[in-house]
Amino acid sequence: MQVSEQRVEPSPRPQAVGIRLDRVSKRYRGGVMAVQDVEMDVKPGEFMVLVGPSGCGKSTLLRMIAGLEEVTTGRVFIGDKDVTDDLPQQRDVAMVFQSYALYPRMTVRKNMAFGLRMRGTERVERERRVDGVADILGLRPLLERRPGALSGGQRQRVAMGRAIVREPQAFLMDEPLSNLDAKLRVSMRAQLTLLHQRLGTTTVYVTHDQIEAMTLGQRVAVLRDGILQQCDTPQILFREPVNLFVAAFIGSPSMNFVHATVERGIVRFAGLEFPLARSVPDGRVVLGIRPTAFAPTARDGWPTLSIVPDVVEDLGDERYVIFEVEAARVDTDAVRAAMDAQTPDEVTLLADERARFTARLPADAPAAVGEPLEVAVDPSRLYFFDRDSGAKI
Amino acid sequence: MSRRIRTWGPGLLLVSPSLALLLVFVYGFIGWNGLVSFTQWKGLNPTYVVEGFDNYTYLFRDETFRNDVRNLVVFTVVFMVGSLVLGFFMALLLDKGVRGETFLRSIYLFPMAISFIATGIVWRWLLNSDRDVGTTGINKLFELVGLGFLHSDWHKTPSALAIAAIALPAGWALSGYVMSLFLAGLRGIPEELREAARVDGANERRVYWYVVRPLLLPVLMSAVVILAHISLKTFDLIYAIAPLDPRTETPALYMWLTSFRGGFFARGAAIATMLFFAIALVIVPYIWYTVRAERRK
Amino acid sequence: MTTTQIEAPRAAPPESPRRRTRTRRSPYLTSARYVVLFALACFFLMPVYALVVTALKDPSQVDVVKMWQLPDGLSFETFSIVWPKLKNGFVNSLILTIPASLISSMLGAMNGFVLSKWRFPGADIVFPVILFGMFIPYQAIIIPMTQTMSKLGLAGGLDGLILVHIIYGIPITTLIFRSYFAGISDELIEASKVDGAGMLRTFFFVALPIAPPAFAVSMIWQFTSAWNDFLFGLVLTRTEYWPVTIALNNVAGAQTVPFNQAMAAALLASIPTLLVYILLGRFFMRGLMAGALKG
Repeated sequence: MQVSEQRVEPSPRPQAVGIRLDRVSKRYRGGVMAVQDVEMDVKPGEFMVLVGPSGCGKSTLLRMIAGLEEVTTGRVFIGDKDVTDDLPQQRDVAMVFQSYALYPRMTVRKNMAFGLRMRGTERVERERRVDGVADILGLRPLLERRPGALSGGQRQRVAMGRAIVREPQAFLMDEPLSNLDAKLRVSMRAQLTLLHQRLGTTTVYVTHDQIEAMTLGQRVAVLRDGILQQCDTPQILFREPVNLFVAAFIGSPSMNFVHATVERGIVRFAGLEFPLARSVPDGRVVLGIRPTAFAPTARDGWPTLSIVPDVVEDLGDERYVIFEVEAARVDTDAVRAAMDAQTPDEVTLLADERARFTARLPADAPAAVGEPLEVAVDPSRLYFFDRDSGAKI
Repeated sequence: MSRRIRTWGPGLLLVSPSLALLLVFVYGFIGWNGLVSFTQWKGLNPTYVVEGFDNYTYLFRDETFRNDVRNLVVFTVVFMVGSLVLGFFMALLLDKGVRGETFLRSIYLFPMAISFIATGIVWRWLLNSDRDVGTTGINKLFELVGLGFLHSDWHKTPSALAIAAIALPAGWALSGYVMSLFLAGLRGIPEELREAARVDGANERRVYWYVVRPLLLPVLMSAVVILAHISLKTFDLIYAIAPLDPRTETPALYMWLTSFRGGFFARGAAIATMLFFAIALVIVPYIWYTVRAERRK
Repeated sequence: MTTTQIEAPRAAPPESPRRRTRTRRSPYLTSARYVVLFALACFFLMPVYALVVTALKDPSQVDVVKMWQLPDGLSFETFSIVWPKLKNGFVNSLILTIPASLISSMLGAMNGFVLSKWRFPGADIVFPVILFGMFIPYQAIIIPMTQTMSKLGLAGGLDGLILVHIIYGIPITTLIFRSYFAGISDELIEASKVDGAGMLRTFFFVALPIAPPAFAVSMIWQFTSAWNDFLFGLVLTRTEYWPVTIALNNVAGAQTVPFNQAMAAALLASIPTLLVYILLGRFFMRGLMAGALKG
């Protein structure tokens, strides 16, 4: 997956405010901690994405910012204001729901105007703003229709329009693209980015799809079981994951993992040895190699690997070459959680204990199933994780 | 803390008028009625001096009351069994789907739209066994189709079963409802379960016995509870068919007669209280069980 | 007569399934089934037949023994004899049922909304407390009710009866609305909150506009129930305020009344609820039926 290097950084609106979460936690009756001690500082005008597998607490966190969930401990600040005890009606945020939640008996126009009406905006002003936003989103011809007469994509735009019209201090979006089909989702993603550049409103966006997170977010917060793992720009998350979970979660195809031992500057695994480019303490580790760290031809200073491809996936401009490594599959909780799987059986279709690596090679690489091949590995792009804690070494 | 109140305060406020009304007019009144049952109130002016269980002891020894309770038991049993059997049978017939099902169902259910008074008036004539006028009503119908030997005195039979005749119009009115309940229950059973049983080799009868029957228990329970409480409350029907006839009198009728015709309000209150407890015995567990099951979902 | 169950009325009663597995069945069994169903339909319609046939006969031709015979010619004379006696009751019943249905439905909507979508601590207790009122025998409250009515100066008139039907209609209307609102998504209410609406405004602008189907069910059910009531009318109203059920019983109750008049009167008194049932039966059945059965 190519992480975009170019991004037009919008200047924050003069009135944009940040959102600060000060060690917020949420405990449900029965002791389940949905969110644990999360600290987050969303800068004014920033597009922050909350991402993680289902049940990680990202939606709960979003709803706590909205005021739809009570905060057990900690404080929530929107701007300088402590809104922790405020009802949703009292906070100046707008929310886009996964199911859009459009008012069924109101026209599109009335749907969009509702929030303004509740806050006492004058009729003339309401109409002006609704018309303006309808123009931006291409909703003009639909203004007098009811939600029932709209397609999924149109409804999604109306839901966005309803939020935009309010000119709130922040947008909160709960997986708004999940119900769209794949193509629409991709085009809507770009639209969202353009919209954000244009409006500059602080946005917190929840998704379970890490690709969406990486393309949309200026910064991405990765959550697991209610605990914030890492909150950085997509590039840093990709290049410098702070633990095994983040490394396994971010990136598609996922990072390859294998158990290895480090001894005096050499890492050994599966009968292979690599000299290390930097010093790593001796011991047993989990070694991680991104699919993009392989090259089809030998390079200076790069160790090589003899492999026999099992599967070659041809994608047109690149190839995924999948090969076995003589070592056991890494099956820690972190890796499994990252795959959103709960039991070992769910990760592989075939019950197989061996590790499989995926290498991403150019389309002209001479890879064929069953035929031995030499690939080079970039030694500067090896990742080492503690076997027990998963932390990066 | 104040945030919490702001969250649910308005809701509580909105419900409170209804809640207040019901607390007074249902629970308060039941208590009041209970209080009256311990007094000796006779005639127009209420007296609230508590005298004790006299009314209850009177009733336990009262031949009329005991007769009424016997009648009620007979009525309840015949009514419930009849409605359950007929209703279930009809549901079975309709379960697999027939042409014109909606039409048929609306015929079976229409008695629910009619008052028990009107039902009673019509059936009084249908069950008429008055010899002076000649054979009429259902008896006549029997004669017309050659089943003259089925001629019966219905509710005028000089036996304890007279009241069972009233179970006929009651069943006529309620069987459609029981059928709807069972039909909904039958249709709520996923077809896959039945199909799995068939593939496993069970014939239709066994499918019904081993797969369907156990899953119908909740429906049966609901039906029994509903029918029982209706049976205990039945007043209009009997009033219309045979109001002052001891053969068909039940505690519900006796309560009204004794209070509003006879003026023995305290005694009537005692009967009403007993009726209430009889119903509560059935209904309270039912409500509790249903609400808990819903909460678990 | 009112009966119902606790679990809520569903969106629609389960329809005949389209893709039922048809086991091979002998045609004899199928025709036998239709015969039985037809016979049952006759059983249910038999009283209607007797009723209509008798009411349409010329009074001189009426003979109890000839109950099942078709009339010689259609005559509406019986109706014209009986109608004046029922007319007053009819009007009274109308004055009674319509406001009672409206108000108890409104209250039910409010309660149902709060109990399903704007809950408060203790809502789980309040609901059964309200529900229980649906099952109590009216005999248990009728004596206190007469006392209260006369103290309030409402004895004998229709106002008291309306009040009574409103109050005792609250449990069932609450049930109907609660289950209906439970079926709408929570996110809709949350969107309303985030948009800045409090409970009342959410109720008026979001919940009520989508509630008409539930209103139909509730009003029809309450209308039928109030129209068909007897005991309250018997005890709480004076002659000129008798609802149609009491008037009916008066006309047709005595044994000495010519039986064609009794039949005609019963028919006339039942026409409104029958009409509602025929035209709006869908809603009637939803009120009647229980919702999801456990299991």
